[in-house]
Amino acid sequence: MTGVTVGVIANPVAATDIRRVTANAASMPVADRANAILRVMAALGACGVPRVLMMPENGGIGRHLARSLERERKLGRTGLPARHVTATPVTGTVDDTFAATRAMVAAGVSGIVVLGGDGTHRAVAACCGEAWIAGISTGTNNAFPEHREPTVTGLAVGLAVTGRVPAATALQPNKMLQVTIGGGQGGRRSDIALVDVSLTTEAYVGARALWRSGHLREIFVTFADPEAIGLSAVAGLLRPVGRREPHGLRVWLQPPAEADTVLRAPIAPGLIEPVGVRRYETLAPGHTASLRPESGMISLDGERELYVRPGDRAEITLLPNAFRTLDVGAVMRYAARHRLLTR
Amino acid sequence: MAQQTIRQAINQAFHQEMERDSTVILMGEDIIGGTGSPGEEEAWGGAMGIYKGLYRVYGDRLLDTPLSEAAFVGAAIGAATCGMRPVAELMFIDFLGVCFDQIFNQAAKFRYMFGGKAQTPVVIRTMYGAGLSAAAQHSQTLTSMFTHVPGIKVVCPSNPYDAKGLMIEAIRDNDPVIYCEHKKIYDTTGDVPEEMYSIPFGEADIRRDGDDVTIATYGMMVHRALEAADQLAADGIECEVVDLRTLSPLDTDTILESVENTGHLVVVDEAPPRCSVAADVAAQVARDGFRDLKAPVGMVTAPHTPVPFSPELEKHFVPSADKIAACVRDTLDD
Amino acid sequence: MSNDNFPLSRDELLRAYRTMKTIREFEERVHVEFATGDLPGFVHLYAGEEAAATGIMMHLGPNDHIASTHRGHGHCIAKGVDVKGMFAELYGRATGTCRGKGGSMHIADLDMGMMGANGILGAGAPLVCGAALASKYKKDGGVAVSFVGDGASNAGNFLESLNLAAVWDLPAIFVVENNAYAQSTSRDYAVAVDSYVDRAAGFGLPGVTVDGTDFFAVHEAAGEMIARARKGGGPSLLECSMIRFYGHFEGDAQTYRAAGEVEELRANRDCLTRFAQQVAQAGVLEQADLDSVDREVAALIDEGVAEAQQAPHPSEDQVLTDVYVSY
Repeated sequence: MTGVTVGVIANPVAATDIRRVTANAASMPVADRANAILRVMAALGACGVPRVLMMPENGGIGRHLARSLERERKLGRTGLPARHVTATPVTGTVDDTFAATRAMVAAGVSGIVVLGGDGTHRAVAACCGEAWIAGISTGTNNAFPEHREPTVTGLAVGLAVTGRVPAATALQPNKMLQVTIGGGQGGRRSDIALVDVSLTTEAYVGARALWRSGHLREIFVTFADPEAIGLSAVAGLLRPVGRREPHGLRVWLQPPAEADTVLRAPIAPGLIEPVGVRRYETLAPGHTASLRPESGMISLDGERELYVRPGDRAEITLLPNAFRTLDVGAVMRYAARHRLLTR
Repeated sequence: MAQQTIRQAINQAFHQEMERDSTVILMGEDIIGGTGSPGEEEAWGGAMGIYKGLYRVYGDRLLDTPLSEAAFVGAAIGAATCGMRPVAELMFIDFLGVCFDQIFNQAAKFRYMFGGKAQTPVVIRTMYGAGLSAAAQHSQTLTSMFTHVPGIKVVCPSNPYDAKGLMIEAIRDNDPVIYCEHKKIYDTTGDVPEEMYSIPFGEADIRRDGDDVTIATYGMMVHRALEAADQLAADGIECEVVDLRTLSPLDTDTILESVENTGHLVVVDEAPPRCSVAADVAAQVARDGFRDLKAPVGMVTAPHTPVPFSPELEKHFVPSADKIAACVRDTLDD
Repeated sequence: MSNDNFPLSRDELLRAYRTMKTIREFEERVHVEFATGDLPGFVHLYAGEEAAATGIMMHLGPNDHIASTHRGHGHCIAKGVDVKGMFAELYGRATGTCRGKGGSMHIADLDMGMMGANGILGAGAPLVCGAALASKYKKDGGVAVSFVGDGASNAGNFLESLNLAAVWDLPAIFVVENNAYAQSTSRDYAVAVDSYVDRAAGFGLPGVTVDGTDFFAVHEAAGEMIARARKGGGPSLLECSMIRFYGHFEGDAQTYRAAGEVEELRANRDCLTRFAQQVAQAGVLEQADLDSVDREVAALIDEGVAEAQQAPHPSEDQVLTDVYVSY
């Protein structure tokens, strides 16, 4: 393939979890997700991007896109990038995202548009290497991706990927939390989080999404945003920490009845729960917190992921400059200043 | 004894059965009428006003339904297997096509398929027949679509007394019952006792005695047959008019006994002639009463066509008293 | 071993495993016996999908009703229908659940709240609305659960039922068992908007998608939905993404599936293996506990088949009985 290719990863099952029945959380229709991609593609086409490379899935987005692109062709509308699909398996699990991301990186893609929630972004960030991410929120508890009209994200991606905006302006570094567990009966395992890591005594993955606050014991966040939803908001309501600040925040919790500080925090959409706080402190970049948690689970970006077994130790490290994202605002301001979108 | 219309008789049956049995519930499109609409409460009481006054007494035991026959007829059937006695209204029998599965594959078969362990006491009330220029999709007589299916019972009253007694029996019956009402005879009046009574299924009623010819029919055609009998009586021909009342089970004994006496049979049916109730009665008498017959069985039916719209055409479509009388004369002359 | 922070007790976990294992062994055995030619009719196997039926039915009791699909053995077993009676029914014997008159595709046990497998796809959804309506009138706290596959999710009776349940605010749960194939046709082709959460939203119902091969995911989501419906919170829809170990029916050569697909699913997405791993990771059951259940189940299946094969055929007069209560 010649010319620039933009990767597109759209998660068809983001925002379909249990929080729709426990907390009236929103869902984004598959057709709207596909239409968002079409708008991104229109913007990419306007910037001269000849093709996109997409993750295959069987959740209906690809099928809707194929029909829509065929319709556009019949109606004589040209200028959209050609749509290619990675030759990666479709299992309906997060493995699809891992495989497609790796395939995109191998194909030389420099920027990947991600449509999904924190979970989808986490999966891409785990294996995107030097490629950068432009996130569009379609998930539930999204603290990480921005809420923004996809057309604008598409324009920014198009300008950046075609080299019209310097990387120093277009890209920004992001922090990440790395979690390693070992020493006990469960063997050694590690994973990452983009926004938050929490320790809960609920020893149960179940429907994955974290929506009961009563079992929470401790929270680590890369950034603490009082405007967000979820655990980043819990931390953010105590002490805001920006995405660009070098440090993170660690918060110790206790049952509301025993706590001096009790927050009323939006731990999920529509779910404002009392959260008892014991204390908090900043988390220095590169610093590893080593702890021996109670048996239970470690949740990553709001999803119950890792079992903690008796004897396990957990090490949680805040990694600076872990991966890069596109700063859509900075790109568009640069484009205005330099008349990049002026004919 | 009070004079009542068929409409009033059915309404009274509902009042009495709902009072007696709290598991009786009624559902259908517009049976309360105006649910959720800004105007008056209970605006319609059913497309034919059958249910007027019931909502005020029984409240949420009446349910207006969305326009979803498969769902609500199925829901009535499902509720019946769970201890309720629902009466669902299929406004026009012609709408059968959108919910037949629930009737013939579900309700009709549960008891058999489940090894005798199911009871489905559901009643499906429906309106049939031509005469209002409602044309091909709102005027059919589809009774034989139901009688063909084992596991369901089919009732078709011709007068207010039977309408009440058969409705009460239908509600109390433990099998699925299709209760067919002809749309032209809701205002037909007759004596209806105030007290509760029921009419057993499978018992035809001899509406007029006669020794010359048996006319077997049901529903609105009973009235046409009685008119024909009046005409013929003037010429000294005495017809015995058998009102079948229930089409499944069918009271073949009464028909055969009558034919044994008269030696002549004319069957009258508003449905087209093929594979109909009329064809079935004729076939059964040909098989079991052949030796009593002095002439071939006469059949007066609608033609093998859809129901036309034009009042003139519709008049020719529906069997008339004249046609019935002519058929009787032909049969006697044969 | 126990864990206070685990939401299921040891007994519940054992019951869940026993149910899943019983379904699996039942289906594997039916597969074998069908191949011998001794089992009449059509059979559709639920192997691979056990976690869904079990995770949902763990929350249901005697007042609750379910309406199943043509692929109904798993639902029957999870709802408590007697396994030996089921084998006898599949063999068409007089001792069968339905006295040999229903067979695999129409097996039902109303005493257990099991309103029937159904030969007509989507037909159970209206019936479940009726069962839920009856519970509402009787105020018995019952809920009713309708199962459809991705294929029948396109049927009008199912879609009408979603609307009716929403309008009447019924204690009804609609479960879409999305195993990716309607007979041989891919749901990717046949479902225009391939999201059941979207479908539910179109009717104003909350919809949730879970991995149907993960017992605990199904169990938690179904538990929330059923508890909600019981308390008067109305209907909801649960999509379980599932896998099918066998073909649409027994005898299906499955040439429409990808080469190696089934082997891959059996190796990597077996819900029983996953359950065993999960309870081990959480430290709530030992392998020995599971082994002991395996032995009980194997014995039950062997006895069930042996007894069914020896059971009497229905007598000729049974052709004519059970059509009506009275006629």
